[in-house]
Amino acid sequence: MPLPTGYTVAIAQTALALLLAPGLVGLIRWLKARLQNRRGAPVWQPYLELRKLFAKEVVVSSNASWLFRAAPFVVFASTVAVAFLVPVLAVPLPFDSVGDLLVVVYLLLLGTFFLALAGLDPGSAFGGMGSSREMTVAALSEPTVALAIFALALGAGSTNLGQIVARTMADPAAAVSPGYLLAFGALFVVTLAENGRLPVDNPATHLELTMIHEAMILEYSGRYLALIEWSAWLKVLLFFSLLGNLFVPWGVATVLTWAALGWALATLLAKLVVLAVALAVFETRVAKLRLFRVPELLAVSFVLAVLAITVSFLVR
Amino acid sequence: MDSAFGHLTVLGSSLVLLCGLTLLWRRGSAAHIGAFAAQSVALAATAGLIAVVTGSRELWVVAVILLGLKGILMPILLKRMDRRFGGPRELEPYVNTATSLVIGGLLVVLAYIVTWPILDVSRLPTRAGMPLAMGLIFVSLFVIISRKKALTQVIGFLALENGIALLAMLGTYGIPFIVEMGVFLDALMGFLVMQIVIYRIQETFESIDVEQLNRLSQ
Amino acid sequence: MRLTYLALVGAPLAAALAAALVRPYLRGVGAAGALLSTLSLVAALRLAGQVLAGATPTWGPSEMMRVDALSALLAICVAFVAALAAWLGPGLGRDERYTPAQARRFRIFSSLFAFTMLIAVTANNVAIMWVAVEATTIASALLIPLHVSKASVEASWKYILIGSVGIALAFVGTVLGYFDYVHLAGERESALNWTSLMAAAPSMHPRVMALAFVFIVIGYGTKAGLAPMHTWLPDAHAEAPAPLSAMMSGVLLAVALYAIIRWKVVVDLTVGSTLPDRLLLVLGLASLAVAALSLIGQRQYKRLLAYSSIEHTGLMCVGLGLGPLGAFAALLHLVNHAVAKGMMFLLSGRILDRYHTTEMGEVSGLLRVMPVTGGLFAAGMLALAGLPPFGIFFSKLSLVRAGFATGHPWLMAFVLVLLLAAVIAMLAQINRMLYGAPPDGVRVGESNRWGLVPLALCAILLVAFGLGGFGAFQTLLDRAVAIVSR
Repeated sequence: MPLPTGYTVAIAQTALALLLAPGLVGLIRWLKARLQNRRGAPVWQPYLELRKLFAKEVVVSSNASWLFRAAPFVVFASTVAVAFLVPVLAVPLPFDSVGDLLVVVYLLLLGTFFLALAGLDPGSAFGGMGSSREMTVAALSEPTVALAIFALALGAGSTNLGQIVARTMADPAAAVSPGYLLAFGALFVVTLAENGRLPVDNPATHLELTMIHEAMILEYSGRYLALIEWSAWLKVLLFFSLLGNLFVPWGVATVLTWAALGWALATLLAKLVVLAVALAVFETRVAKLRLFRVPELLAVSFVLAVLAITVSFLVR
Repeated sequence: MDSAFGHLTVLGSSLVLLCGLTLLWRRGSAAHIGAFAAQSVALAATAGLIAVVTGSRELWVVAVILLGLKGILMPILLKRMDRRFGGPRELEPYVNTATSLVIGGLLVVLAYIVTWPILDVSRLPTRAGMPLAMGLIFVSLFVIISRKKALTQVIGFLALENGIALLAMLGTYGIPFIVEMGVFLDALMGFLVMQIVIYRIQETFESIDVEQLNRLSQ
Repeated sequence: MRLTYLALVGAPLAAALAAALVRPYLRGVGAAGALLSTLSLVAALRLAGQVLAGATPTWGPSEMMRVDALSALLAICVAFVAALAAWLGPGLGRDERYTPAQARRFRIFSSLFAFTMLIAVTANNVAIMWVAVEATTIASALLIPLHVSKASVEASWKYILIGSVGIALAFVGTVLGYFDYVHLAGERESALNWTSLMAAAPSMHPRVMALAFVFIVIGYGTKAGLAPMHTWLPDAHAEAPAPLSAMMSGVLLAVALYAIIRWKVVVDLTVGSTLPDRLLLVLGLASLAVAALSLIGQRQYKRLLAYSSIEHTGLMCVGLGLGPLGAFAALLHLVNHAVAKGMMFLLSGRILDRYHTTEMGEVSGLLRVMPVTGGLFAAGMLALAGLPPFGIFFSKLSLVRAGFATGHPWLMAFVLVLLLAAVIAMLAQINRMLYGAPPDGVRVGESNRWGLVPLALCAILLVAFGLGGFGAFQTLLDRAVAIVSR
């Protein structure tokens, strides 16, 4: 069999991410259910949800503008673009020259921005409330993503995510340095915030007054809702890949052979499962924070990221 | 070996600093006392680590005293004080939590800038942690001036002393033994006197909210 | 030599122990304490004599303690004011104001206070000096609320918290200095000795020592009452019982300045004197400005005296930043201020006993009610205001001359304006207190005549210093200045 080229691998990696994302979220939900002594829906339930939503009719409020219809596509497209840039299976990939840390952050922000606008667009009260809360959270979490990964970039000498992974693989001792650990802490808290997980937001809540992400997409139905949900799940998988591959990079393929890619796939699945278990256990233990406490938590992660940078700056 | 030692001491120092930042994050005396106890234990562990690597017997004694005095005895006394004159569980600090944390982070960055010239002088493998110790000193100062409860101010002061001890340990592997003992004695005496004064405050003011201490204002 | 030193520091320690061991309190213990404090003073004078004869007594393992001219000068000041407080403090005469328990507490802690201050000024090891200065905070903090009231408890809390924080910062500076020495010369028993630091100073790292000095000045400056770290001072000195205030204002501030001076001499050799001088000038001027502005509109006489202490400490700090001539002015000022402030606070104690109020508006007719007290009080105010023939006039004059000599004419003009404001404020207030009709219910006539004798002695000393002083004292002062401005 001919060796795969970089472009093929990149496209395959993104397709894989899209395919795995619903399964990952299904796994998290199933684990939480089991931990809470329930049987829980099967792990592939999100796939069935997507199939159902794509078949359903779209109902759009008469107050909505073009933004309402465009937003799901923008969000989906930006998240898929991030999937091209995040090291999931192999480094270095040809798209790395286009994408580095800052591009990733901006793409994520683009999606968040449009989603927030879409929440405001139909003019419903809950949508506006969700959007304002989302912006509060995003204001502190987006810079933290940048800072936390920047701490790692200082060591690697470049903000290119592929290079960061390569550098950590070359120097294993750096993985336990305080800069890395602090950055991991910061990034973990940001993962919770960006993906609307406890303790920041409850993804399973039915109470509109406690919603952040759900409130913004309350008006969506049919294929629009399918696209938005799928992007949210893809985001979870991408953040997990970041957490796994930046801090524990062993397994990521550095040469494009079938054996290396197969091994990369296996380790990726393993890391995703481990992180899914960790998240499920964590969410079961922790209670949702009151809204005015959320900035405090995000400030903690921000400070951790700042500390990570200062510590890495010196030990360099 | 050297590099692992350096990394581990920096890890220990980071833990000590993070416990100090926890003083800015969590509210309520129980959380503060817990953070201080954890900080002292981390500090004792770092001292023990340095003692193991350098083979200094004096540092072992320092580590044991740190553990016993600041890790166990003082938190017990603080908890007892809190139970007697706890008052309301939380008092709003002068600066809110999120802003305090951001200021704390900036203070750590400031500490790095201030400590930069010192790092050139030292050739010890532990020198990378000195800015963190200085950061703890600055953060503790901020805790003292921005918190309203007298008990929290005392905990901030004890954290300040921890920061100075850490600085001495990382910079020169400790200070001469006699001096160290004198410092410990002073610290204990100072703490006991503060306890007595807080007791007096509780007696005369019926609360330990330092905002009430405003009769002398001219 | 050793015996003299032991007498110097052992006497107050013995007095404290005696007061602690004897329960219930007996007046004999107070008398013993007073006699021991006189012994301490005599020992200090003897040590000064030995220093003048050319010796530099040392004591302790690796020469922990060392008495040179500067130490001897400070030791005399401390012992003198401590003796004043011991003779005029509670527990000696028939005092209804203080219970025996309070008198006992006073005797224990004031003697400990004197002991720790004497250790601080005679320590060669800068870490021992630090431990002693920290101990002074602890010893005095428990005495401030001798009469428990909301105001005194608040004052003692501010004192111990801000004082301890300041001392901790001074320790950071000490650690940094030790760090620099160790990385230069290796660890040694005598690494923290001032003499070792002086020897190694020219080869130490300037940036580290500059950082250390900043911490030292801020740290010990908090104890000295320099602005902006002075906020505890007016409260603590005003609420404490009069003898304690006398010791705190008179000599504790001087001891803190002494610590700064010791470090400055070392840092001057490493960094050059520009940075230390500038730092001291800035802080001194800030203190002067704060004090002068606060003196205007002050309503209580004890707080007035406390702010005056801040003013004088600021002046001394300015003097230290103006080279050798300024150092001479600062040290002369230090001695005069110790005597004057000690006397003033003790007199204010007598006024408080008679009038039962600390408000200046309610005190009037002092000259008629207590003629000698009032006269001495007026003399003390004139001395503090810097009028001739008192010694402070000459130290201020030397200060201004030093300022002009080092090329700071505008600075001196500013200083003079501030001093003028302070003088006017103080003299206006004292005028109101001295003259006028006495309020009702205030008994006329002096009580406790014998207690006035030491205070009159202080006034005579102030005039003597102004008129040229004693020859031996002048020589001692010159030697001390030589140490400071090496």
